[in-house]
Amino acid sequence: MHPIMASRDRLGLYLAVWIPAAMLVAIEFATVSGLPWLAAAAMAGPLALAYAFVCLAAWYPCRATPLQTSGISRLIGTHGAAAVLSSGLWIVLASVWARLLAALGFSTAFDHFGDQVPVLFVTGVLLFALSVFAYYLLISYEAARQSETRSLELDVLAREAQLMALRAQVNPHFLFNSLHSIASLIGSNQAGARRMCVLLADFLRDSVRFGGRDQITLGQELSLVRQYLGIEQIRFGARLAVHEELAPDIQDALVPPLLLQPLVENAVKHGIAGLIEGGTVTVRAQGTGADLMLTVENPYDVDRAAAAGTRLGLLNVKKRLDTQFGPLASVRVADGGGRYTAEIRLPLTSAGGAR
Amino acid sequence: MTAALRVAIVDDEEPARAILREYLQQEAGVEIIAECSNGFEAVQAVANLKPDVLLLDVQMPKLDGFEVLELIERDVAVVFVTAYDQYALKAFDVNAVDYLLKPFIPERLTQALERVRARLTRGHLPRSEPLSARLRPPRGPLTRVLIRDGANVHIVPLAKIDYAEAQDDYVSIHAERRAYLKEQTMAQLEATLDPAHFVRIHRSYLLNIDRLAKVEVTDKDSRVAILRDDTRLPISRSGFARLSVLLGE
Repeated sequence: MHPIMASRDRLGLYLAVWIPAAMLVAIEFATVSGLPWLAAAAMAGPLALAYAFVCLAAWYPCRATPLQTSGISRLIGTHGAAAVLSSGLWIVLASVWARLLAALGFSTAFDHFGDQVPVLFVTGVLLFALSVFAYYLLISYEAARQSETRSLELDVLAREAQLMALRAQVNPHFLFNSLHSIASLIGSNQAGARRMCVLLADFLRDSVRFGGRDQITLGQELSLVRQYLGIEQIRFGARLAVHEELAPDIQDALVPPLLLQPLVENAVKHGIAGLIEGGTVTVRAQGTGADLMLTVENPYDVDRAAAAGTRLGLLNVKKRLDTQFGPLASVRVADGGGRYTAEIRLPLTSAGGAR
Repeated sequence: MTAALRVAIVDDEEPARAILREYLQQEAGVEIIAECSNGFEAVQAVANLKPDVLLLDVQMPKLDGFEVLELIERDVAVVFVTAYDQYALKAFDVNAVDYLLKPFIPERLTQALERVRARLTRGHLPRSEPLSARLRPPRGPLTRVLIRDGANVHIVPLAKIDYAEAQDDYVSIHAERRAYLKEQTMAQLEATLDPAHFVRIHRSYLLNIDRLAKVEVTDKDSRVAILRDDTRLPISRSGFARLSVLLGE
């Protein structure tokens, strides 16, 4: 879409900018051909208006030859040809208009139109060049504004993801429930209470430490997940079982921190916690071609399926992968028959360098 | 000294039950009569053992704490015990005596039990009318109806309900060729159901619109709804008007 034709306001503003051009042309007619002022105005006004519309076309060669990627000869060639063509067209229009005014007996001075042609032609070329200049200015301004908006958007997304990750680390209810379990163990099982204190401290320390990095190894993420599950197993007892299926050598793969942990937390909170008999959370990691595939699977209560709606942790993981890997990463969930599976795919790189 | 307070502990996490057990053993005049690890057991314990106090967790499998309250006789004092503070207002709404936030110190439990005693000596606990009508709306759309049958609990998903029939202070809910009696009035049940699926076709009948096969005109101004299983239900004049609006006719 042409930027000036896009709205009535812009077109109005554009035409207003052409008023000085009309005045310039009128002065030319008055001085070169010695037309009386009224006749010069009658000639210049409609001509300037017509040329304003002709120069709208300058936008298209500007768009077709971007400043950054086009050579200087191509720029001069394209716009020079367009300027000569436009100015030529203008001269034709001007002569038709002059003859029409002469035929109407407006003024005999139009007989001297021929004297006017060189000056008019140069004016036409200059006005066209001015339009080209203005369009390039407009294009670079729009581009700058767009890239600013995009980088702002990215910034906001990244910060949001960071905040969410931080909040996920210290899910207050997880902390409250864990502290409650510790308080309980102190009465009956002091060694167990100490062990849980250490687990909780390790988990919090590692999630803060890893959370601040861009990448950690899968092995580090898995140890975080084990700490988390270890704490939850004290709360849920025999109801929470854990099963790991890890491909050999996969531990060195690099992943953004806190990618698996929120999924495992979901599996416990929305899955196991809702089952009277509990169940098994399965964590799988394997390389498939150029991808690393991570899955977390858990059973859930089918009667409570509606409660699975708000999985904030998953949404956050999705967003973070999107900003970091774009279309190279994906998050998929499968949900059916009382089993819920979250599957993450991301490019496989290892601590030793890309494979 | 009056008789011991008879307490039932309801929490799905063993450590949470253990700490209540431990704290309660330090209390004078308290007797633990039941430990329940889910809502079903809680409903059964209340029906069979009639405790004075329920120490009740909110987030549990199958039936949460509020759903348990919906199903039990209300002459039991309720103290919520949870890590979540966001249920406090709702707990106040259902007349809970106290609300303990995990973790808590023994003194806080002592205080809660004192409040229970005060409430009990002041007389009977105010027996509120069936909770569901007041409780349900802020909890989002109802997806199932809970029905207590002695010490058992039936969970009937809304989609399985054919129709409900008013019977004095009860409603008889017909689903999957069975009828469940629920202690609730027709108006209360109707208020909790999605009006896009359930329509009051008669003073005594609430119909799941998905079950309607056809409407038969028996004589002038008198109509009968015929369900997919050939059950015939009367339709009143205003019921027919509501039905027509719902069916867009």
